[in-house]
Amino acid sequence: MDFNELFNKAKKLGFNDIQARVETLEEIRYETFKGTLDKHTIADTTHLSLKGILDGRMGKLSTEDLDFDNADAWLQSLKASAKAVESGDEAIIYGGDDSYSTFDPTAGADIDTIDALRKKDLALDLDARIADGDERIAISEAIYAEAKRSIRLVNSKGLDLARQTHNAVLVAEAVAREGDDSRTAFEYIQTNRFADFDSSWLARKAVEKSTSLLGSKSIPSGRYQVLLENKASANLLQAHVNMFNAEHVQKGLSKLAGKSGEPIAGENFTLVDDPFIEKSAKSATFDDEGVATSRRKLVDSGRLEGYLHDLKTARKAGVAPTGNGFGGSIRPTNLHIAPGSEDVSSLRRSLDRGLIITDLQGLHSGTSTVSADFSLQASGYYVENGEIVKPVSLITVSGNYLDWMGRIQRMGDDLTFNISFVGSPSILIEDVVVSGT
Amino acid sequence: MLPKDTLERVINQALKSQADFAEVFVERTRKTTITLQSNAVEDAVEAAIKGVGIRVASGHNSVYGYTNDWDEQSLLDLATRLGQSFPGEPIREPVALPEQETGEKHQVSIPFDEVPTEKKVELAKRANQAARDYSEEISQVTIKYLDSLQEVQIASSEDIHVGEVRGRTRLAVHSVARNEQDMQSGFNGPGSGEGFEFYDRLDVEAEAKEASRIAHTMLYADEAPSASIPVVVDNGFGGVIFHEACGHSLEATTVAKGASVFSGRKGEQIGSELVTAIDDGTIDNAWGSANYDDEGRPQQRRVLIENGVLKTYMVDHLNGRRMDEASTGSARRESYRYAPTSRMSNTFIANGDSTFEEIIRDTDYGLYAKKMGGGSVNPSTGDFNFAVMEGYMIRDGKIGEPVKGATLVGTGKDALMRIDRVGNNLERAQGMCGSMSGSVPADVGQPTVRISEITVGGRKGND
Repeated sequence: MDFNELFNKAKKLGFNDIQARVETLEEIRYETFKGTLDKHTIADTTHLSLKGILDGRMGKLSTEDLDFDNADAWLQSLKASAKAVESGDEAIIYGGDDSYSTFDPTAGADIDTIDALRKKDLALDLDARIADGDERIAISEAIYAEAKRSIRLVNSKGLDLARQTHNAVLVAEAVAREGDDSRTAFEYIQTNRFADFDSSWLARKAVEKSTSLLGSKSIPSGRYQVLLENKASANLLQAHVNMFNAEHVQKGLSKLAGKSGEPIAGENFTLVDDPFIEKSAKSATFDDEGVATSRRKLVDSGRLEGYLHDLKTARKAGVAPTGNGFGGSIRPTNLHIAPGSEDVSSLRRSLDRGLIITDLQGLHSGTSTVSADFSLQASGYYVENGEIVKPVSLITVSGNYLDWMGRIQRMGDDLTFNISFVGSPSILIEDVVVSGT
Repeated sequence: MLPKDTLERVINQALKSQADFAEVFVERTRKTTITLQSNAVEDAVEAAIKGVGIRVASGHNSVYGYTNDWDEQSLLDLATRLGQSFPGEPIREPVALPEQETGEKHQVSIPFDEVPTEKKVELAKRANQAARDYSEEISQVTIKYLDSLQEVQIASSEDIHVGEVRGRTRLAVHSVARNEQDMQSGFNGPGSGEGFEFYDRLDVEAEAKEASRIAHTMLYADEAPSASIPVVVDNGFGGVIFHEACGHSLEATTVAKGASVFSGRKGEQIGSELVTAIDDGTIDNAWGSANYDDEGRPQQRRVLIENGVLKTYMVDHLNGRRMDEASTGSARRESYRYAPTSRMSNTFIANGDSTFEEIIRDTDYGLYAKKMGGGSVNPSTGDFNFAVMEGYMIRDGKIGEPVKGATLVGTGKDALMRIDRVGNNLERAQGMCGSMSGSVPADVGQPTVRISEITVGGRKGND
């Protein structure tokens, strides 16, 4: 049986339209611990998602049991799923766009051609460089992880699209120890080109970070100037992405509802969702509904331009879909705050009595996309007159993300993406509430 | 599931190398997720998970492979590929597996696939109605009904061949309260390790109202202060403090590598004498219970800390090799996509002597953390954080005004030492715990506990 037969079967059962998404994923992973290969993982999996419209309602199903002998059971389950739906939102299966971008996320990728042994050796080499980087390094670990993902989207309206990404990440983990004080670092490079993996640079970063945090202490509670480093800022943005999700907006779960076209942030704040970024595993020319993706500004110089949509929310709002229907919900591709023009070292030097925050922890629990209030564990360095005085830990920084978007004073030029491909430059904010001793 | 001789052939294929351990984990899981929002069912999705994970090890080093291809030849090919990581003459004889032992505890009385979708939808609707009826200011309610029936089969060269069916279900309620000025949310998500019979004894309406009560209370709450003060953490989900501050750092995952703040400290006083902490994966039909761990060994009750003294770690077989310790039956994994590692099951602080009233009365000034959100820890530094979902100020031994937006931060070793009151009202609550081997259901729990000093990160500032 093939998909056409399955679709015909579905139509006989009364489905108007039906769509299948098949994802195959091949993964390789090498993990080292203190100079030896500790763990090696290989994986090969396939996943099928089906959705079908019955009496105007969308049934959904997901399975890893891809045997077409199960087709009747799938369709029965899909039928039951559709029948349970009550929401009056229009169910749509998409016939496709006139054209799709010719951007190829795998262009220039060469990790396919690299021998497995070199990948393993890369991880071991990184581990050794971390261990040798400083005598206070107690534990060195490295990970090389690679994923080759192929997606095919086919539906009864004649759509048949395919795309692929093939990316890898190299991770350096270090634990520095002095007396009974331990500090850690987690640094990485994400790419699809093997030559980008500079283990010497990565090891140095991990060693510098972990050792420089030794002796971290809390500081007195108060209001401080804060330079939030790029990755920490990206992580904070990621925790608030759903404020821009049209589904949340339409359901009254976002304070950005009804603010389209209005200023919601400072003029230095521009937020971009760009599906065509090189070397990113999130880059895609179409979403899981078959809608062509495009580069969009969600916030342009402080003004809210629009939300992230899938077919359903776009229809409801009377706007064009934006190609953000991923994984059964709405997600950005490579969402990022546009960088400013200032060198980060000049931002550091401008700190009079302030903090450089390098890490925020507890993002899954200390934030709320509903209220936008947050209170998060933070660590970094205390700075006076532009010079680092001491490392800092066990403090919290708190605020409201909507408020923060309007209060960024200066914006660095150092745009970087976090491990989930959400990006930000380093940002400087004044008068931040910090809790400590 | 797979026949015994297939499992044997796959294990023995892997052992045709210098490997000294081979394991096959077979899984078939069916899940239902029903989402109700804006007073209507949005989605009712069935998901089927089906796969096999093969792990092969030599000494401390391991390789793991997984696939959803159950064909014997494919599994033999995968075993061969994995074995190639340990080239050389075989060091073990081929194994003969025992007959499969099937777990009989934690039975599912009413399997989820025998319950029509309408009955599950009806539950969600009851919860939605109750949550909305709480107040006119409840502006949105999201209900997620979840059930999952996980059938596993685990066989390894350790003379292990077991199987069991694990039923789990949860009704998660997320309420949003709104007025002219603000929006706040509240959450409550009771769950259990059994079948649909769970709902016969669950007071759905009361559980749903609880989420709305929290959201509504927080809508009129002041900002929490920024200060280091005493904190009274209430029972039930308050146990997340032990889970984060200490539990993760007692897992062999980090202990074995000397990466935990508690590595090499067995027998030492690591907490206040008032603290006895237990991880018990054997509690009947609890959210984090099972007959076997995910290496196929019986789940156990482990006394981690007794009167403040570290008694045992949570150990899985492979990390146990590095520590020279036996497994404590603590290996867990989300699915066949993850190699197992040591994880918590149902973890809680045991009852003490104080009453709730005494603890509040004895506190001149502090924070009363009535409902906790989640948190996280860095086991190497011991630095942890967790969010207070519903808090109140304590003044002169009395509970005062509600406060919102507080995150507590500290280090595990300080927090444990600073527990100076332990109540007598132990309760457990359900959470999802994320770590190296994926997201697994885990109970947290405790009686009401007071920590003499901890940093409260509110937005009010200290001015």
